[in-house]
Amino acid sequence: MQPSDRLILLAGLLMLVSVITTRLSRRIGMPILLVFLGFGMLAGEDGPGGLAWSDVPTSHFIGSLALAVILFDGGMRTQLKSFRVGLRPALGLATLGVLFSAAITGLFAAWALGFDYVEGLLIGAIVGSTDASAVFGVLHAHGLRLKERVGATLEIESGLNDPMAIFLTVAVLEWLLAGRPALDAAPLLLFAQQMGVGAVLGLAGGYLVWLLLDRLDLGAVFTPLFAFAAGLALYGTTAFFGGSGFLAVYLGGLVIGNRPSVGLSLVLRLHEGLAWLAQIAMFLILGLLVTPSQIVPVAWPALLVGLGLMFAARPLAVWLCLLPFRFSPGERLFIAWVGLRGAVPIVLAMFPLLADLPHAGTMFNVAFVVVLLSLSVQGWTVAPLARRLGLELPPAVTPQRHVVSELPGTPGAVFASYVVAVNAPVAGGVLGTLGLPPASRPVAVARGGRLLAEPASVRLVAGDAVHLLAPPGDLEVLDRQFGGRPQRPGPAERAFFGEWVLNGDANLEALAGLYGLQLAADERTLTVGALLTRAFRKPVVGDRLRRGRLEIVVRELDGDRVLRVGLKLHRNGETVAG
Amino acid sequence: MNISDLLTAGRVACRSDVVSKKRVLELVSELIAAGASGVDARAIFDSLIGRERLGSTGLGNGVALPHGRLAGTEQALGAFVRLGKGVEFDAIDGQPVDLVFALLVPEHFTDEHLKILAHLAEMFSDRAFCERLRTTSADADLHALLTGWSPSADAAL
Repeated sequence: MQPSDRLILLAGLLMLVSVITTRLSRRIGMPILLVFLGFGMLAGEDGPGGLAWSDVPTSHFIGSLALAVILFDGGMRTQLKSFRVGLRPALGLATLGVLFSAAITGLFAAWALGFDYVEGLLIGAIVGSTDASAVFGVLHAHGLRLKERVGATLEIESGLNDPMAIFLTVAVLEWLLAGRPALDAAPLLLFAQQMGVGAVLGLAGGYLVWLLLDRLDLGAVFTPLFAFAAGLALYGTTAFFGGSGFLAVYLGGLVIGNRPSVGLSLVLRLHEGLAWLAQIAMFLILGLLVTPSQIVPVAWPALLVGLGLMFAARPLAVWLCLLPFRFSPGERLFIAWVGLRGAVPIVLAMFPLLADLPHAGTMFNVAFVVVLLSLSVQGWTVAPLARRLGLELPPAVTPQRHVVSELPGTPGAVFASYVVAVNAPVAGGVLGTLGLPPASRPVAVARGGRLLAEPASVRLVAGDAVHLLAPPGDLEVLDRQFGGRPQRPGPAERAFFGEWVLNGDANLEALAGLYGLQLAADERTLTVGALLTRAFRKPVVGDRLRRGRLEIVVRELDGDRVLRVGLKLHRNGETVAG
Repeated sequence: MNISDLLTAGRVACRSDVVSKKRVLELVSELIAAGASGVDARAIFDSLIGRERLGSTGLGNGVALPHGRLAGTEQALGAFVRLGKGVEFDAIDGQPVDLVFALLVPEHFTDEHLKILAHLAEMFSDRAFCERLRTTSADADLHALLTGWSPSADAAL
């Protein structure tokens, strides 16, 4: 057998078990990334696989490539409207937060390992960033629907903070390698250059890719490949001009994902798969690279570093960075806890190895332990904690995917097919009287492989296939009408929002009369929406105010405007904090 | 608190000729006014429609619990209507409403009113109970069902 054939066999087998295990991991709630890492370690030199892999440059290349792909995909999936509540707190966390967290973790590292503070700081910087792939992975794997203020902040923070951690690591490393010269303004200039060039090229490049995406008319196969290639080129170009390639691909993805284009759904579908491939490959390689028997000697001090990061550095950094914003104590606690560390620290820990810095091996192993600890302890507890803190929203209707075909002779309309989901709003209703968008016309309904006569009079059940002629603009509404609520544990809608619904413009004085709502003198002329906006400045769905027996919960928003609130009548009257 | 304290047999009806939200509210207003002295159907209707303007009382699953305050009465008054065909009620889930329980409470607010409302909301979130109401047509049987309900283990959502 040729060496390359053996490598292909090994890669194939490892990927195969990893992919199949995703099912099991979902069932037991174990963080999937941990599973991939574990398989890599099992295949490695201390495991049954016995493969001695110590090729740092190749691992570093694969790790960087995979990170770029994951960030590009993460950018495309970040909704710009989440910036309404998430951007400003996330910017602080992604810059100052990383700095604080690295500085405090550095103290722990220096103390636990007997290093001097600068070497400690290098370790702090290496493990300084919250990992986008780990956060996205854990949040999405549990199908968690978090309150937007928390979810958006975490997603944007983790998408933006890798460049800061990379910058810190490189800056400290270069300073150490240069023999600790006197400090000057050079690192600050480098920082400005990395971020400035990265941001400008990322946004401009993303716009250019979007312009070309539909115009090139490359077809269903090559359009997503074009986007993929463009993402890699964007990373490389930005790095060539001295900017942060990671920042550039994230921002480029953000532009592409938030501008309308026909090819976007194809691009997203390919990149979802590619991002998972990148995750698997990256964690397998990292698991292969580490030598577990060499970790044992540093396990204790490394554990102390990890605990210091989780229980002191991250919470302090989060608390400081969120001071100017209105987050509830529960929301702060959750953000502090979801500082998941993932592949970035391990990739960054290869920098000292590549540079042959003294103690580089120890630093790599410490970083590995910290990531392992964070993934297992935090990754496993994120979902239960969100539930406990009341930050999880009831499951939303999942839009049903449609199959579209263009028809000759129907300009402005497409032929769309839906399968009625379980619990879909349309299930149980008669198709002709459902209140579908007026320009959408049902053409046929199929059940059990047969077309039914007179589609308009069919009473729909889950599993029916409905075919309609519809203008493309109606598809979004139809997606929701034919979609259902996912069957998973989550707070029941009524328990979460209360039984009653009020319009955002309902007058508070009227509520005081009807329900005995206690009001301050200056609240009498307000609407219920204004009261919530005053309390939360930028309210999000799930924000709640308790007054005596009554609780008001934000239910529907249009931007910052409260459209509908839920009203909950409590059986006991005592006030609950929080 | 018992439902029988606020709902007399005469204020329960099963109707199939009602086609709009406004007509439903008029019907329950008339039912309440007919059984009580010194209250005017128009005033009841105005109170109920005033509450609907703050937000629909359609709770979802075909149930609506319109309610309001009323001057000139000393006790809470209820009325129930089952409709043959659901009417558009602006309910939270967008479904038409066919079970309507209206509640009028005295002008002066007390905690007792909130308890009645909470009790009604709990009663009508019992899916099996709602299905029994939907398959019952005689006014007297409906009244017996409504006054006989008690929370059970399977009443949870």
